[in-house]
Amino acid sequence: MADLKLLEELCSLYGVSGNEGPVRQKLCDLLTPFADRIETDALGNLLVYKQGKQRPKTRLMISAHMDEVGLIVTHITDDGLLKFATVGGIDNRILCGKQVMVNGHYGVIGGKPVHLMKGEEREKAVAVDDLSIDIGAMNRAQAEQAVSLGDTVGFVSGFDRFGNKVRARALDDRAGCAIVAGLVQSELAYDMTFVFCVQEEIGLRGARVAAYQVQPQAAIVVECTTAADLSGVGAGKQVCRLGEGPVVPFMDRSTIYDREYYELAFRLARENGLLCQTKQRIAGGNDAGAIHVSRGGVRTVSVSVPCRYLHSPMGMIAQEDFDAAQTLTALLAEHIAGHPAV
Amino acid sequence: MQDIKEILWEICKAPGSPGQEGAARQAVKAVLEKVCPQAVLNDDPMGNLTAFLGDKHSQNQLLFDAHLDQIGMVVTGITEEGFLHLAPCGGVDRRVLPGSPVDVYGKERLTGIVCCQPPHLSDGKAEKVEPVEEMYVDLGLSRAQAEEMVRPGDAVLLHVEPRQMLGARVTAAGLDNRAGVAVLLRCAQLLGGKPLSCGVTFLFSSREEIGCEGARVAAYQVQPSQAVVVDVSFARQPGVPPQKSGSMGAGMMIGTAPSLDACVTSRLIALCKEHGWDYQMEVMGGRTGTNADVIGITRAGVPTGLISVPLRYMHTTAETIDCKDAEYTAQLLAAYVQEKGGALDG
Repeated sequence: MADLKLLEELCSLYGVSGNEGPVRQKLCDLLTPFADRIETDALGNLLVYKQGKQRPKTRLMISAHMDEVGLIVTHITDDGLLKFATVGGIDNRILCGKQVMVNGHYGVIGGKPVHLMKGEEREKAVAVDDLSIDIGAMNRAQAEQAVSLGDTVGFVSGFDRFGNKVRARALDDRAGCAIVAGLVQSELAYDMTFVFCVQEEIGLRGARVAAYQVQPQAAIVVECTTAADLSGVGAGKQVCRLGEGPVVPFMDRSTIYDREYYELAFRLARENGLLCQTKQRIAGGNDAGAIHVSRGGVRTVSVSVPCRYLHSPMGMIAQEDFDAAQTLTALLAEHIAGHPAV
Repeated sequence: MQDIKEILWEICKAPGSPGQEGAARQAVKAVLEKVCPQAVLNDDPMGNLTAFLGDKHSQNQLLFDAHLDQIGMVVTGITEEGFLHLAPCGGVDRRVLPGSPVDVYGKERLTGIVCCQPPHLSDGKAEKVEPVEEMYVDLGLSRAQAEEMVRPGDAVLLHVEPRQMLGARVTAAGLDNRAGVAVLLRCAQLLGGKPLSCGVTFLFSSREEIGCEGARVAAYQVQPSQAVVVDVSFARQPGVPPQKSGSMGAGMMIGTAPSLDACVTSRLIALCKEHGWDYQMEVMGGRTGTNADVIGITRAGVPTGLISVPLRYMHTTAETIDCKDAEYTAQLLAAYVQEKGGALDG
């Protein structure tokens, strides 16, 4: 079983791209007792080396990214409001009215009262340039006491469980971090390297340098991916569905995955009685895009937890998918490391 | 500011969708028990709550009103997949709905998320926000599970925790009009135990957001000799012109309009000047869009005034006020009662 308590702790931390410190610190503290060597690289990736019972036949790297989408303060107005840019792919329809946290201060993204809007304005999402964050400052000077330009801004929302569903902020990709951290804490058959990456959401930047440094022959990327199994979305557009197991894609917008590993994942799932699904639409992308073209090429597979409302203040995953993703990742890891890559 | 903030926190936790104000009413009663145990409480069939202080035989019977309900939504059905259909209940700003956590008041309180289609599926229509009737709430339940817990007509409210911001500013769900409710409760606290030569009825009215039905029947029942309504109004913010707004933190907004009573208004202003309280004028060309519109024409007519707490981002999840503005509004109301017993003798 994957560790929901750890997931909750990881989701309670802020780690907007470029500011992943709190998440890294938590993982470093947690995993140091289980690692043979643990280091932070120049960009802030956390690299965890751990020996298993045997030397591997294939050097394997398993990664998850620590960063989350959010906002960054670009300007403070004379009235003490904060102007911002988005960090990572945020749908501007979900910004208006949300509570945010900036440098330890609560704020809100305000919108014009509906009473004062005319016709079309009421039906349109507000452009990012027309939104601002209000932290309660009376003027610029008071705001500057609390916040600096370049401070990152995270969404405020809780963690809750209802039935077999988990709802939280930043499940993308703290769910992956929790799964990979779980593997680090387990007994390994073979030596492996685990990487917690920075800056995935702004262009797979952490994974690129981590893969260079680690020089793996094969990689497993543990992620969250868009599930659009919602009322009103046709079957052909749902991408994947909650409750139908981890998602192993053959292709997305960043990567054509290793075909043998793709098939291996489904075979291992079948043999071990796990549900497993693939992406039924070429959508999204993840650190695999940077990893599979590292140095002379890395055979790469991805295991993703299906997640509704990715990149919004509150996502939703199914606990059984999260558990099965951890089991499948462990099975894949052992099989890949135990067989020659070429 | 501590008293009014504590009151706000207590009453903002309780839901009060129009027509389903029960929990909010209970929260108000619990606060009254603490801050003004002398008040005589009365519930009516429309969901209104009144609290009476002072002399019920006096010629001067003041009514202070603040509406207890907040904008909300209502469940209209359940889809094959177990998602909920919605309709607005009051002037919901649909732009804040996608991706927002909500509470659904079914057999028990359930949490859900208003579905937002992922950006990669919006086919270039990302600028358009669907009407509320075309949105869904995801409870993470199957249809059968959802039908066990939820029925059409159950209330849905946006889930927002109250938060302290810088200085005396706070954000919370439904500050429209829990800010006004807090003002009345704080006023009751200031007046509790003091000898009063007039009667004061605090009215926590239902159903304002769908047409002021609560205040209409309660004012008939109370038969006041004059009334002051406390609500919220637009505070200056981006996109809101100065002639339609007041400044947050710069004092209460005293309404003046053809539909309001000029003597009540003048007296409110005179008291502010006397006590050195900051105030701002809010001028409206006809009616006010508040309970003052219906209270003023109750029975043979009631001279009615209006005070508003400036509030930013009205009808969104980001409603924000400055507690100073609310505190001085409460003090103004208390002074209004205590000085001259509320008599309108010029």
